[in-house]
Amino acid sequence: MKIIVNGKETIIKDNERNMLEALQHIGIEIPNLCYLSEASTFGACRMCLVEVDGKDVVTSCTLSPREGMRIRTNTPEIYELRRGILELILASHDGDCPTCERNGSCKLQKYAEDFGIRKNRFSKNKKNTITDYSSPIVRDNSKCILCGDCVRVCEEIQSVGAIDFAYRGFNSQVVPAFEDGLSLTECVYCGQCVAYCPTGALTFRNDLDELYKALKKKKTVIGMIAPAVRVAIQEEFGLSSDMVMAGRLASFLRMSGFSKVFDVAFAADLVAYEEAYEFKDRLINKKALPQLTSCCPGWVKFVEQFYPDYLENLSSVQSPQQALGSVIKEIYARENGLNKEDIYLVSFMPCTAKKHEAKREELEGLVDLVLTTRELAQMVKTSGMKLKNIVPEPFDRPYGISSQSGLSFGKTGGVLMSVLDVLKDDIHISDVVITEREEGIKIVEALYGEGQTVRGAIVYGLGNVRAIMKEVQAGQLNVDVIEVMACNHGCIGGGGQPYPNDTVTRKERAMSLRDTVGINSINSPIENFYMRELYQKHFGQPLSEKAHHILHTTYKPHRRIAETNIEIMPLPVPETEKTTVKVCLGTSCYAKGSYKILADLIESVKSEEWAKNVEVMGTFCTENCGHSPNVLVGDQLVSEATTEKVIEALKTQIVRT
Amino acid sequence: MPITRNFSKVEEILKKHAYDKKNLIKILLDVQKEYRHLPKDVINYLGVALDLPPAKIYGVGTFYAQFSLKPKGQYAISICDGTACHMQGSTSLLQAIEKEIGIKPGEVTPDLLFSLDQVGCLGACALAPAMVINEEVYGNLTPEEVTRILKNLKERKEA
Ligand code: SF4
Ligand code: SF4
Ligand code: SF4
Ligand code: FES
Ligand code: FES
Ligand code: FES
Repeated sequence: MKIIVNGKETIIKDNERNMLEALQHIGIEIPNLCYLSEASTFGACRMCLVEVDGKDVVTSCTLSPREGMRIRTNTPEIYELRRGILELILASHDGDCPTCERNGSCKLQKYAEDFGIRKNRFSKNKKNTITDYSSPIVRDNSKCILCGDCVRVCEEIQSVGAIDFAYRGFNSQVVPAFEDGLSLTECVYCGQCVAYCPTGALTFRNDLDELYKALKKKKTVIGMIAPAVRVAIQEEFGLSSDMVMAGRLASFLRMSGFSKVFDVAFAADLVAYEEAYEFKDRLINKKALPQLTSCCPGWVKFVEQFYPDYLENLSSVQSPQQALGSVIKEIYARENGLNKEDIYLVSFMPCTAKKHEAKREELEGLVDLVLTTRELAQMVKTSGMKLKNIVPEPFDRPYGISSQSGLSFGKTGGVLMSVLDVLKDDIHISDVVITEREEGIKIVEALYGEGQTVRGAIVYGLGNVRAIMKEVQAGQLNVDVIEVMACNHGCIGGGGQPYPNDTVTRKERAMSLRDTVGINSINSPIENFYMRELYQKHFGQPLSEKAHHILHTTYKPHRRIAETNIEIMPLPVPETEKTTVKVCLGTSCYAKGSYKILADLIESVKSEEWAKNVEVMGTFCTENCGHSPNVLVGDQLVSEATTEKVIEALKTQIVRT
Repeated sequence: MPITRNFSKVEEILKKHAYDKKNLIKILLDVQKEYRHLPKDVINYLGVALDLPPAKIYGVGTFYAQFSLKPKGQYAISICDGTACHMQGSTSLLQAIEKEIGIKPGEVTPDLLFSLDQVGCLGACALAPAMVINEEVYGNLTPEEVTRILKNLKERKEA
């Protein structure tokens, strides 16, 4: 299609989604503060104005290109309007750039600079400010420009919807339900909102101080670096991708006081190996299929909240971060005469959800600190050392070598393909075919054994997973294993990665990771000598008791709503004189008819003599969703409850008191 | 009487609107009518029943002026503090109200009889200073007048 841009005839593609992208593709970057090519168009900031056919000035993100359109991108009027918008935003913005996590990478700051805004015609009108430090995701609404990117990412891409617009007009805010902290919501800490927020309103908790504290205490500080970190950190320094980055980082950490630096890709080999045999066992015995991968803590929390019936499908093998933590604290420490309390283990990750994972009650104490790629970059910057000048050194042994499989955990497909790789000779996998069903969803098919078929799905983005799970639940999609990465394109797009963290950048990282993987001469986890040695010396076989003890974990349903007690028919008498019955009204139980039980109980309490000292309450999830509906009678949990069962339990308790 | 709910009303409302999330606003209007506000429990309950994130329902609930997140009294008083009313002494009216029923703007009396809100221009500037109780507009007010109106409402309740 031909259009005229700033007086010059220009050819653009016929299928451009909108004028903003069309212009971008011919080299004109229209300023914008609410456009996200990955989500729906919002059209609210009005920064992306262009003039059409010599008259109207309209937003280019909502404009469909038409043959012969005459576009001007840079008129005095547009310049004035854009400046006005920026001044208005800045008037109600916190504006404390030097102390902001996004200083230097903020889009608002960049435009203020580009447009040379030095003083503001509008007077400062600070909005009510909400800050939230309750989780690894930090919110500061005084820096929010209401672009809605986070809301659309969380709802459309991740299908979580933990945050949304509330109030209206000048009072508008982006907040979780009831303005609670994110830790009380369904947020899975994937940090995708952080990845797309143009300002410092959504960031992650910076924990670098904790590291310096540990170094000061002269603990034995051990580091470990995830695959996705080494292919992204160079962006923070304006360097091009660098195949020996991992070695430079290992060397840098040693110079900074770390006693050992290990490779998380080693642990990825270990996890792939263990998980492969777990899969083989399930595949052959046809149990708990499809197996769901468990390397991504964002996805794990998602399952615990939204698919409690599938918890047994989750691989019980820990994520590489935790598995290595476990090996270091339980095996390495002993072998090297160290007290595990004296080891301070720091994991460098692309991921914000890993900060949460390390603090999960089942896993706490293994990894002491999780720092993101951006925090590591900050360490390098403050050290004054030039990354490019640091001579690369190998990771420490024994957890320092990895195969192509382990390294590829950093991007989508890595885990599932590694699992197949491990089992290749064992169950004779052949004829592997991968088809891309749509962006973010791949289907893998292969033959195994004597001509049987094994099928798997590789999915990223939790919204995509929700669609896939729906098909699985409805029996429309038949797969034996599903690999899930919460973040689009996998961990290379994690919430702790450098900015910009958009699709274009993620694809570049994927290329760089592909190359890093390609030059590794160890193909499969099976060839990883040190990993095999771990089995020989300690675990024996995969899935052995010892392997279970060190490498596996457990999951439990996770309530979506923090609130636990709902007053339904309060009985204002002392605890000792009443029996409380609490009906679960959470998603699973509600779906299985818990409301009916509640209604029956209310009826009994109202009309029947024996029940006069019964207090009826509700709760949102007793975290036993697999056996819903659940009712708590006093402290006794009645699962798979019916009205009759509950009344029986109630009567026995009343007799006792 | 404490606010109790057994969700049977909520279930009725949900049934009426076919448990369809597209009817969220209508559902919330009915909930608002039933409880004179959107109770937190009910928002969570709707989140479960309609398969919607509570943040979304909260967003809708705070966006429209028809909804209130805090309980509203049987008599919901809105006292105007727009420019005209302010100039005509709305502050002294507010003091009179606070004295009579003991609550500040944004609060509800413990018996749920009155709630008080301060609002910008009610569109009744000719009658400044003005207030609205439920749908009724009272204009050209004095503190004495306000006290009398509130006393009347209290008596009506007791009778
Ligand atoms: S971290 Fe993920 S789940 Fe949480 S609010 Fe951000 S996008 Fe949503
Ligand atoms: S928090 Fe960030 S992404 Fe979300 S609306 Fe505000 S500025 Fe936009
Ligand atoms: S995909 Fe990777 S970076 Fe993203 S939440 Fe999961 S583990 Fe973290
Ligand atoms: S980018 Fe077009 S209106 Fe915001
Ligand atoms: S919904 Fe989780 S136990 Fe009822
Ligand atoms: S200022 Fe009070 S009604 Fe207009």
